Amino acid sequence: MRHAGRIAVALAAALLLLYPVVSDDLYYQNMIILSLVFAIGAVGLNVISGYGGYISLGQGAFVGLGAYTLAILSTRIDVSVWIWVPVAGLVAGVFAALLGVIALRTRGPSFVIMTIAFLFLLQIVATNWPSLTGGTAGITLPLPQWSIDIQNWPFYYSLVALLALSLLMSRRIRRTKFGMGLIAMREDEDKAATVGIDTPVYKLLAFVASAVFVGMAGAIYGYYLSFVDPIGMFNILLSVQILLSMLLGGRGTLLGPVLGAFLIEALNEWSNNNLGGGNARLLLFGGLMALVILFLPRGIIPTARDLLEARRKRGKAGLVGARLELRERPAPAERPPVGPPLLEVRDLEKRFGGLRAVDGCSFEVPEGSITALIGPNGSGKTTVFNLIGGTMRPDAGEVWFDGERIDGLRSWRRAYRGIGRTFQITRLFREMTVLENVVAPLREFRFGQLNAGAVSGPEAERAEELLDFVGMRAFRDQKAAALSYGQQKLVELAQILMLDPRLIMLDEPAGGINPTLIERMGDMIRELNAQGKTFLIVEHNMPFVLGLCDPVLVLASGTCICKGTPAHIQKDPRVLDAYLGADFVLEEVGV
Amino acid sequence: MTQLIQTLILGVLVGGVYALLASGLTLIFGVMRVINIAHGAFLILAAFLTYSIWTASDLDPLVTILFTTPAMFAFGWILYLATVRRIRGAHMSSSVLLTFAIALVVEGLMGLVWGNTSHAVRPAYFNESYSVGDLFLPKAQVYGFAVAAIVLGSLYLILTRTWLGRAIRASAVNPQGAALVGVNVAGVSALTFAVGVSAAGAGGTIVSVLYPFLPGSHYQWIARLLSIVVLGGLGSLPGAAVGALILGIAEAATVTYISPQWATAVPYVVIFVVLLVRPQGLMGARLREDVATA
Repeated sequence: MRHAGRIAVALAAALLLLYPVVSDDLYYQNMIILSLVFAIGAVGLNVISGYGGYISLGQGAFVGLGAYTLAILSTRIDVSVWIWVPVAGLVAGVFAALLGVIALRTRGPSFVIMTIAFLFLLQIVATNWPSLTGGTAGITLPLPQWSIDIQNWPFYYSLVALLALSLLMSRRIRRTKFGMGLIAMREDEDKAATVGIDTPVYKLLAFVASAVFVGMAGAIYGYYLSFVDPIGMFNILLSVQILLSMLLGGRGTLLGPVLGAFLIEALNEWSNNNLGGGNARLLLFGGLMALVILFLPRGIIPTARDLLEARRKRGKAGLVGARLELRERPAPAERPPVGPPLLEVRDLEKRFGGLRAVDGCSFEVPEGSITALIGPNGSGKTTVFNLIGGTMRPDAGEVWFDGERIDGLRSWRRAYRGIGRTFQITRLFREMTVLENVVAPLREFRFGQLNAGAVSGPEAERAEELLDFVGMRAFRDQKAAALSYGQQKLVELAQILMLDPRLIMLDEPAGGINPTLIERMGDMIRELNAQGKTFLIVEHNMPFVLGLCDPVLVLASGTCICKGTPAHIQKDPRVLDAYLGADFVLEEVGV
Repeated sequence: MTQLIQTLILGVLVGGVYALLASGLTLIFGVMRVINIAHGAFLILAAFLTYSIWTASDLDPLVTILFTTPAMFAFGWILYLATVRRIRGAHMSSSVLLTFAIALVVEGLMGLVWGNTSHAVRPAYFNESYSVGDLFLPKAQVYGFAVAAIVLGSLYLILTRTWLGRAIRASAVNPQGAALVGVNVAGVSALTFAVGVSAAGAGGTIVSVLYPFLPGSHYQWIARLLSIVVLGGLGSLPGAAVGALILGIAEAATVTYISPQWATAVPYVVIFVVLLVRPQGLMGARLREDVATA
């Protein structure tokens, strides 16, 4: 099956390369040229939307920017027009970076709104700045000078080359740490930050990568049309068609956007010939987009791939239900001696509206300890975790780690310093495999690392070792979303161990999993602790906490009310009061 | 000085209409986390309905609100059940794309039915104004503001004083909690969407009297409305009102002091500035994204 796919792609590529040589039909040449522009736009869009999860309705703006750059420069400076094509790519890249800087603080809906605003603002500027852009009248370009015999070959082949470059870039991104970080962001951006992914840098680079080739294609497109104007170049329908190409073919796939682009342009041409005016095209493309989102949300290629996969696997038992590989492990050595505080929290405060979730909380976690943080529901335990891990910023107070104040640092910088955390409801990157999940964390940021293979080298070996440690090695190629809750907890533990953290923060490691696994979890924590890892654990399972942890910190109403050994905590009246309330004590006295 | 006061008054008058239009958008977002990009298309649709009723009868165009509002309510209800309902729970960007697709379809349909030329509803009082000292208040703007204020006020009362309003607000704050105390969250969502669309309907009728419109106008309108809700804070009704007044005044000031042709750029600039400086908007709370729902 795989071979059939490759042969089809090779045939299509050969046909694309040879077409102008074997046929001089300008009608189809024109169609392919337009398809190539859509395809380059969609492959670029796929970097930010398909991999990174940031949907843009303004991708067509980069086509327009490129075309205008070429038009403005070529009518003012008399050199070969082609020189302006790379310049147009540069201009598109600069604008994309600017957009990226603004987008650093926005996500989801705000981001889409911003991309629409970007497109329309450019259109207004192009309309209202006639001295530069020719206003509504637009700019007419010099006609190409080459021989009529080669028809539109220069346009055609330069676009083919750009598409090839775009695809090489897209493939490279998908296979490197950069692409893996983008996919992690798509799946869960906050979580990605806690495992060391420097999200702003990733976003900015992805923006630029998604725009440069599109700007160049736009320049060629403008030259080909030999006319640019605000309505034609910053038309929202162009963005829609690019977006639809990506959605239809399959977002996040390498060739899906190209397949989609050729289908969409064919449809475009058909509607021009048979349906006439713009209204029918709006109905056609609007309707198609609605249908794709409702009934084919993943696009053609992923859906087809899943169908084939399902047929191949029919009748075979899945691995997901298989038993965990629980092996007897040697009893851990004695606990290391407890050292000075590794983590210190001082007068921490966090409010949500009128609610003081954390209200002057102070405690310390000694190096080498397994410290528990317990407290009734709503006492602020998870919020404290979020403040230490960097997912939230405190309103007041300080967090110190190993003698350094860290409450101003972003999540990934805290991860680099050695803080790893799990989440109460596991947050794995659901569309990634187990192994990819475990190799995703990064212990530092270097630009060179972005270009490193996604799953390779010593890291992949280390990840397999860690999966072995938690007993999940057999599941390494499963999608994380397919695992049970308990299995996900184990993988999430392996994932943060990849950071080689000094402090491991576990949010309810024993919550919602079976007793055998709880015991195993306890053993693993002891073993890691014996190797020198410090733990801070939030947990409701009291036998588990009291048998494992020392010291125990008790949180109530956002404040740390008590600290001590398990035996001490069990007797402390303040703890009983916090858990059971004053009423209970009164009643007991009465009996 | 007179010019400044005049600008402020015109800004407030149009801001009131903007507030009504944006209220539906922000209400739908608040309850469903759906950004209804088709809101602009819906209001233009209502404007065309008003145009047809007005040309076919002798009714005052503002009175047609009694027909357009329920018609748009029904339209919104059906549309919700047929489309938006199916993508609940999907990633938020899916709903943006879906409603954008709906906007394109509605634009195409309006083009087929009414044509792609500019339309205007001009009642007899269109060119008349009230004069107060040196100031002039165009009658159409004053009536439009008054009607918008009445509709918006009723909407506010419904939301704050009725069981339905409490159910809507409860569903917005905490859908699971609302379901636990007996609110039919799915039904409330359909109702909210329909109410939001009907607010666009009422607003669209007023818009038809104030501005010329054509099917493609909806882009400009959705840009305005998005900038208002981004400025006020997504999901915040008071925020939408404040944002609407600010945008109305900013546009009026741009027309007076810079140039009318740059007034169309104001909403986009507002969007960029807000997202850069204060992404949660003036009155929006940051969502607690960490508390993932199982």
